[in-house]
Amino acid sequence: MTPTPTGTDGPAVVLDTIHKRYGEKRAVDGISLTVPRGEFFGLLGPNGAGKTTLVEIMEGLRRPDSGSVTVLGRHPWPRDPELLPRLGVQTQASAFFVRLTAREHLETVAALYRADRAAAERGLAAVGLTEQRDVRVDDLSGGQRQRLAIASALVHDPELIFLDEPTAALDPQARRALWQVLRALKGAGRTIVYTTHHLDEAEALCDRVAIVIDGRIVALDSPGKLVAASSSVTRLLVPAERLSLGDAQAIPGVLRATEDGDSIVLETEDSGPVLSAVDALAGLHGVQTRTASLEDVYLELTGSPRS
Amino acid sequence: MSTTSASGTQPTTPGPGTSTPPARTRAMSAYSALSQAGYKAYTRDRTTLFFTFAFPLLFLVVFGLIFHGMTVEESGRPYINYIAPGVLSWGVANAAVFGVGFVIMQWRRDDILRLIRMTPTPLPTILGSRYVLALAIGTVQAAMFILVAMLPFFGLEPAGSWPLALPVLFLGITAFLAVGVIVGSFARTPEAVAAVANCLMVPMAFLSGSFFPLDAMPGWMQNVSLVLPLRYFNDGISAAITGDGGGGDILVACGGITAFAVVFGAIALKTFRWSDQS
Repeated sequence: MTPTPTGTDGPAVVLDTIHKRYGEKRAVDGISLTVPRGEFFGLLGPNGAGKTTLVEIMEGLRRPDSGSVTVLGRHPWPRDPELLPRLGVQTQASAFFVRLTAREHLETVAALYRADRAAAERGLAAVGLTEQRDVRVDDLSGGQRQRLAIASALVHDPELIFLDEPTAALDPQARRALWQVLRALKGAGRTIVYTTHHLDEAEALCDRVAIVIDGRIVALDSPGKLVAASSSVTRLLVPAERLSLGDAQAIPGVLRATEDGDSIVLETEDSGPVLSAVDALAGLHGVQTRTASLEDVYLELTGSPRS
Repeated sequence: MSTTSASGTQPTTPGPGTSTPPARTRAMSAYSALSQAGYKAYTRDRTTLFFTFAFPLLFLVVFGLIFHGMTVEESGRPYINYIAPGVLSWGVANAAVFGVGFVIMQWRRDDILRLIRMTPTPLPTILGSRYVLALAIGTVQAAMFILVAMLPFFGLEPAGSWPLALPVLFLGITAFLAVGVIVGSFARTPEAVAAVANCLMVPMAFLSGSFFPLDAMPGWMQNVSLVLPLRYFNDGISAAITGDGGGGDILVACGGITAFAVVFGAIALKTFRWSDQS
């Protein structure tokens, strides 16, 4: 579904050569970026790379040292009460009013946004917390708190949603459930800007991702294009007991063969013929094929060793 | 601002910007929601309830037992006339400092301040709801305290001028709320709030004559007390409730507290931080 064109057309976020430094440290070092409406945009990068500062600049919580920020056609700094209800912000630490129940907390947040009380119920339902509505926020589990924090960002039906590692504390089921919520939001035409350390998730959800290192964007494209551009190498994992390293290295088309735990890892640019050769030598049972993923691109760019 | 996107799906809330209920109703709802949240959090917190309502009464009982039936030599007035207003103003001031100090520290630490910062609700609405809540708590505190002090055992007999204690009370709460904001802005943990607030409030209580009549204290201590806000709070409450000293004393006390409230308020605005990060 495409975002509905309205009177406030134009990109959701436009950043133009943003700089922000803390003392000697350049947290954001000349970032320009445009996020169109309706896009699901991911910000990836190591801790301390400047992602959070960048998001806080978009939210209007921080003022850049230089450069211009436009969010939904307005300037987020100084605090703009006209703009704020159109933004949904999930805070990194789970911010709850103490000693309230989940529903009371969400009703309070809804009231601060001037949304109606029913919005709180819908918010709880959207993140699957209806059963926990009368539980005190202090007694919720980590994952439940995380989901309540996300509901707090959505309760007033914002156009542009900022999420800061929304799935960090979630178990796999809850994570998938949240993916559904996020996809539904995107389906409804919302723009989502989010940070994550889960690269598989970014690959599955994001239209585009930016990889930020040391305050600069080092890669910006759709996950598919980033992966395609990075490497054409496919890796085949063959159980070690069925294939010797020497035999593996002798297969035509194999660029490199290494032993990794209980597998022999074959790297090739043309997996078809190599697979046939492996079939002839060892059979294909238990053989795994790994093509490059966003994680490989990420690790390559951030300079970390492959696991 | 024009209308907004996201027509599809949800028959939910009208998109932001499309609905424009009268500003007054909207502001009221944020205000009342905050007041309710504050009230619920307050009444569900047994520790704070104890220190707000029971603790000052405990002091009243202890001092009441010690000085039962005695009068202060220097003035010839009964002890209860000193102790009841003194402990009352200390109790109210203490609750104001601790209450707002904890809330400011917690809200900042838990990112509630940032959450509020990202909503369109103006800061005065938030401050207003906390302020009215604090005034209400202080008034209930004072009423309970005075009623207990009027029991025959303690024998306090409020003078006809007692309603004049209300403006003094409100001014005193205002001044000490500002102190609480300053404490809550500096302290990063509940322990730090308690430590700093106690360091301020306990010595001040003694030096300002909350626990022992200033009239029975050495002259230098009476002079020191003049630079402490609690001294004026004590004087004002005392003058209104016991009827000793009259309107002039109450006016002087109000002036003193107001001056402190203005100074502390300015410092509170200067030191207030939205976030613990730089």
